[in-house]
Amino acid sequence: MTPRPPTLRDKRRYLLVRVEPAGTSVDQKELYYTIADAITSLFGDAAAAVMIQAVVAAEGEYVFIRCRRGSERELAIALSTVTACRDTRIALRIIAASGTIESLRERIRPAVPEPRAPVEATEFTVGEKTFTAVHCNGQKVDVIEKGFKNAHRLYLTREDLELP
Amino acid sequence: MKITDAAVFPYPNGDTSVRRLALEADVLGFDSLVAIDTPAAAYGGVDVRSGIIIRDTPMRDIVNRMKRLRESGAVISVMAGDAGFNRAAIGLKGMHILRGIHAADKIAFDHVSAKMAADNRVAVDIDLSTIIGTRGIARQRAIARYRDVLVLERRFEFPLTISTGAASALGLRGVREISGICSLLGMDTADAERALGGVEQVMVPPLPPVRVIV
Repeated sequence: MTPRPPTLRDKRRYLLVRVEPAGTSVDQKELYYTIADAITSLFGDAAAAVMIQAVVAAEGEYVFIRCRRGSERELAIALSTVTACRDTRIALRIIAASGTIESLRERIRPAVPEPRAPVEATEFTVGEKTFTAVHCNGQKVDVIEKGFKNAHRLYLTREDLELP
Repeated sequence: MKITDAAVFPYPNGDTSVRRLALEADVLGFDSLVAIDTPAAAYGGVDVRSGIIIRDTPMRDIVNRMKRLRESGAVISVMAGDAGFNRAAIGLKGMHILRGIHAADKIAFDHVSAKMAADNRVAVDIDLSTIIGTRGIARQRAIARYRDVLVLERRFEFPLTISTGAASALGLRGVREISGICSLLGMDTADAERALGGVEQVMVPPLPPVRVIV
């Protein structure tokens, strides 16, 4: 099949989105359905059909989402109503919008090596409970209460845990 | 004007410490937060104001609590009830924010309450967690109720506040995202920015109508 000439193709825009909490692995297909559900429930099927959103790529904690040009504002509003993907609680932070994926790649911040001692897998005792650190980025430390029953994350800082 | 989130619920009400919420709020473009049941502090570039929400309490007890809390410097909010309750609450000295309008009766906040709120500088809160976290009829009702409140706000010019009601760092939203969500309610960017500065507006004592110079 002959591809359409560029002048007849739909103009697209791409949104660079960071998935929080850091270290969450999100399935691209699941995320697509989650976003489609958010758009449909907020703007309806007609607007969703005009938007034609798609999750085109995922690189680490960053995701590239495509939509038709002119509908990026509506897409951004719908993305801010996403609170969970399947059973995993997430938040989608919109970093930038652009006409090409390449220009969005320049906005991805490379991971900076932590100058302080890593705290991952370190155990902390707060009150009577023991927590294990699962992610650390600068001041931010995410911990999970120890024990197989409770896998709920707590979002703390180094200062909360009295770390240097 | 300080961009303020009018209600967040740090640990132990939520899963995020107040320091972490302040850190995240700073990144998302906020200048201050109202943290419920948390002492006031400043973390990095973000001021954390102490907040108190009074709910499911008879008016007589609210009056007594308000007398005790008036000088505490905390942002005092009352959850909305029926029309009579709301009018009485708005008339109380030391009251700052009326919350939960979306969950109250349709006639619970009318033009009389709006006029009183404007005169007493009591803000009405727009809780975005109902728009973000609910789907279907609950969200439609909340949007309709807030749109109705905004009609009264344009007429009587009482203050508005915006809160994410975040009990987690994941529940916070950026200023631009909030502006986008507010556009669903018929607010433009200027309206959203003014509402984000609403807490400062209700906490600063009003200038007297007459200033004695000599």
